[in-house]
Amino acid sequence: DEWRGWAIHPEDYPNTVAMQSFADKVKEVTEGRIEPTVYANGILGSQPDAIEQVRSGALAWANFNMGPMGEIVPATNVLSLPFIFRDVEQMHHAMDGAVGQQFSDALSEAGIVALSWFDSGSRSFYNTKKAIHSPADMDGLKFRVMNNDLYVQMVDALGGNATPMAYGEVYQSLQTGVIDGAENNYPSFESSNHYEVAKYYSVTNHLIIPECLCVAASVWEGVSDADKAAIKDAAMEAAKQQRELWAARETASLDKVKAAGVEVNNVDDPAAFQSAMAPIYANFIAAHPDLEQLIKDIQATE
Amino acid sequence: MGLAVLFGIFGFGLFCGMPVAFALGLAAVGGFFYEGLPLFIGFQRILSGVSVFSLLAIPFFIFAGELMMQGGIANRLVRLAASAVGSLRGGLGVVNVLSSMLFGGISGSAVADTSALGSILIPVMKDKGYDPDYAVNVTVTSSVAGVVIPPSHNMILYAVAAGGMSVSKLFIAGIVPGVLMCLCLAIVAYWVAVRRGYPAETFPGFKALGIATLVALPGLMTAVIIVGGVLSGVMTVTESGAFGAIWAILVTTFVYRELTWPAFKNAVLTSVRTTALVMMLVATASAFSYMLALYRVPELLGNFVTGISDNPIIILLLINLILLVLGMIMDMAALILICTPIFLPVAVSLGMDPIQFGVILMMNLGLGLCTPPVGACLFVGCVVGKVRIEQAVKTIMPFYLAILVALMLVTYVPAFSMTLPGLME
Amino acid sequence: MNIQSEPEAHGPVYRLLAGVSYGCLVIAGVQLVTLIAIFGWLVWGRYVLNDTPTWVEQLALLLVVWITFLGAAAAVWNKSHLSIDFVREMLPDPLRVPMRWVAVIAVGVFGAFLAWQGWTLAAKTWPRVIPMLGITEGWRAMPMAICGALTVVFSLYHVGELARGDYKITGEL
Ligand code: NA
Ligand code: NA
Repeated sequence: DEWRGWAIHPEDYPNTVAMQSFADKVKEVTEGRIEPTVYANGILGSQPDAIEQVRSGALAWANFNMGPMGEIVPATNVLSLPFIFRDVEQMHHAMDGAVGQQFSDALSEAGIVALSWFDSGSRSFYNTKKAIHSPADMDGLKFRVMNNDLYVQMVDALGGNATPMAYGEVYQSLQTGVIDGAENNYPSFESSNHYEVAKYYSVTNHLIIPECLCVAASVWEGVSDADKAAIKDAAMEAAKQQRELWAARETASLDKVKAAGVEVNNVDDPAAFQSAMAPIYANFIAAHPDLEQLIKDIQATE
Repeated sequence: MGLAVLFGIFGFGLFCGMPVAFALGLAAVGGFFYEGLPLFIGFQRILSGVSVFSLLAIPFFIFAGELMMQGGIANRLVRLAASAVGSLRGGLGVVNVLSSMLFGGISGSAVADTSALGSILIPVMKDKGYDPDYAVNVTVTSSVAGVVIPPSHNMILYAVAAGGMSVSKLFIAGIVPGVLMCLCLAIVAYWVAVRRGYPAETFPGFKALGIATLVALPGLMTAVIIVGGVLSGVMTVTESGAFGAIWAILVTTFVYRELTWPAFKNAVLTSVRTTALVMMLVATASAFSYMLALYRVPELLGNFVTGISDNPIIILLLINLILLVLGMIMDMAALILICTPIFLPVAVSLGMDPIQFGVILMMNLGLGLCTPPVGACLFVGCVVGKVRIEQAVKTIMPFYLAILVALMLVTYVPAFSMTLPGLME
Repeated sequence: MNIQSEPEAHGPVYRLLAGVSYGCLVIAGVQLVTLIAIFGWLVWGRYVLNDTPTWVEQLALLLVVWITFLGAAAAVWNKSHLSIDFVREMLPDPLRVPMRWVAVIAVGVFGAFLAWQGWTLAAKTWPRVIPMLGITEGWRAMPMAICGALTVVFSLYHVGELARGDYKITGEL
């Protein structure tokens, strides 16, 4: 069977490379019974559309970021809470263990089987005006955020002016001053060329959002148990490879933006940023009391 | 086989005279049935094809153009243009090309360029005795400048798809090829105008020119607001489109006092109709494009090209040919994302700079916007000019040739695209 | 050919459908003016109030979907969608007549798909909320369903015209 797979990134991106390895491995271990293919560059649609395609079985597998997943699987909104993970390493521990299993369960109710967890690094603020050392430095600056209430609340809580905007508009808007900044990880900051116009990157690590390598539940049902185990192994291997490639890509991107004259700084007091999030957590838990335990489980992970 | 279903339905529908948008949609439905895919996926594509932020500029420019027409801005602009270069034979054709160069350099969208300039210039050209097909041809082909001359969001899309290149260099690289293209078009516009014996007005003198300038100034401010808004960084392109429309309402109501309530209502309803026709095409074309992507049509073509020859001149020609064909039947943004990863490595292996390839891609796919059966600019131009597509296409060949000449020059002479970016270093 | 210039020649069904089609255009027109107004508000909010109204982008994307599909439905009634019918009109009657039937019926068939799938999508997305707006995603697919239903009705009327032999190929552009 051909398994059509969806990827948002270009072929040479860590995620896509790891997906291709997964595809090759699965074809090998199932002796060609299953032949995954990768449709890169998001040519089969945006992520919200692709999620529906996986849920309906039109696509067999995909690599999804958990950010936009919140609209379909509310539990995954927890992963969009600012500073939910201390660092990327803790995120790996949590997602590879019991916490990850809780998210897998929630996803499978929506028809998506998560096989392993990819890395998308950690997101920080960058802008065209000045280095940000404390929340006070963000006062009045216009930051582009993705379309999600949590991200808007986050920037507002830090004193900035949250401006939801389509990704493709960001470069010109930074260049012309429609917005002052945005937030992303190093590889995207670099590949989007935003570093050409935004010369200050301040390491806040406010969002650490994992990604899943997942299979459509309707497709997964038809796979033999032996193949399932082999495919699951291949997915774990792909995640390992993706995380290594990702780390290398982050370093390369960081070097490149620094060489291009971007000033990268650590913030003076990370706790000041984190404590500003208290009302957001309170609101979130008030709206989703059932998710409070999951948040505590994440925070309790080593 | 699936491809046969797809193109069979599309072709048969077109042949029977079905609306293009509906033929594209029905063909996609056929493809989804044939592949056993859930049908709602296709209709989800249709919905999300329309829900794209950068497309919002389209209704704004269409509406601003309608207001400029209904409220008397256009007449005054054209009176100005006619006093300046009208003494040239077929002067309005050349004015059309030049204004596209400036206007498209602001809007970044060839379709918006066609609708805005077309709704102003085509009716005036017709009034002055120009044939409707000529007016549409000039408007449509010169609007491609909007894609090539910066700013251009299609170029940003290309930079992202190419995996990290300097957008500012890419922007600068587009200037000379864009101007070159307009030059070729202006020559053709002049030549055709002479052959058809279009009128040349007498030069009215500098005093009259001065008065025409003063009178047109508040209207010209609409363009200044749009350019200034973007360049000064106060607004995005989409927002400046909205402000251009708001400004046009104010000027035509309070300065020119020509925008009556019936004229305003008419402008709104006409804008809605034009917008809906264009957007419906964008919508169903995105479902159709989904099937093409699923069948990996562009990739098959990529392998085909490299299998044919190892002569750089021939391969570049082939790439251009394939892009031209794809540009005829597919949406530009989707093609940029799909074709860049396929053809860029081939071009780079021939020693071509990715920036030069980006400019070639813009010009080539831009030409696709002017060609049937799927050419958004051509459609808009025909709607605005109230000309049937077949009537416009019958005489458009010299204008295609002008763009092709520019495309060939940019393809085989790197200096056209690479000199300015080279100066940056 | 301006069909609306001779209303007295048409029956009540024609007048009803023409009214519905015009109503679509008017609603879409109000939406277009709203679209422009909220963008004005966006820029005002960002520069004067330094508090960007975060709902504008999402509302604009929703409005443009409504404008598209309401306008597209009206264009079916007015026969103003872009088509390439010069091939058909050059052919002799025995070919041309069935091809006209095919074209009209095929439009109606696609309209039925739009109605059915628009309804399906609206139901499917009903539990979801559009970010920053707080209203249901179902509002986005609804105009597609409306457009589809109207397309079916308008096409049926055009079929009637074909049967009576008073079908005009082009409406006003
Ligand atoms: Na441009
Ligand atoms: Na033009």
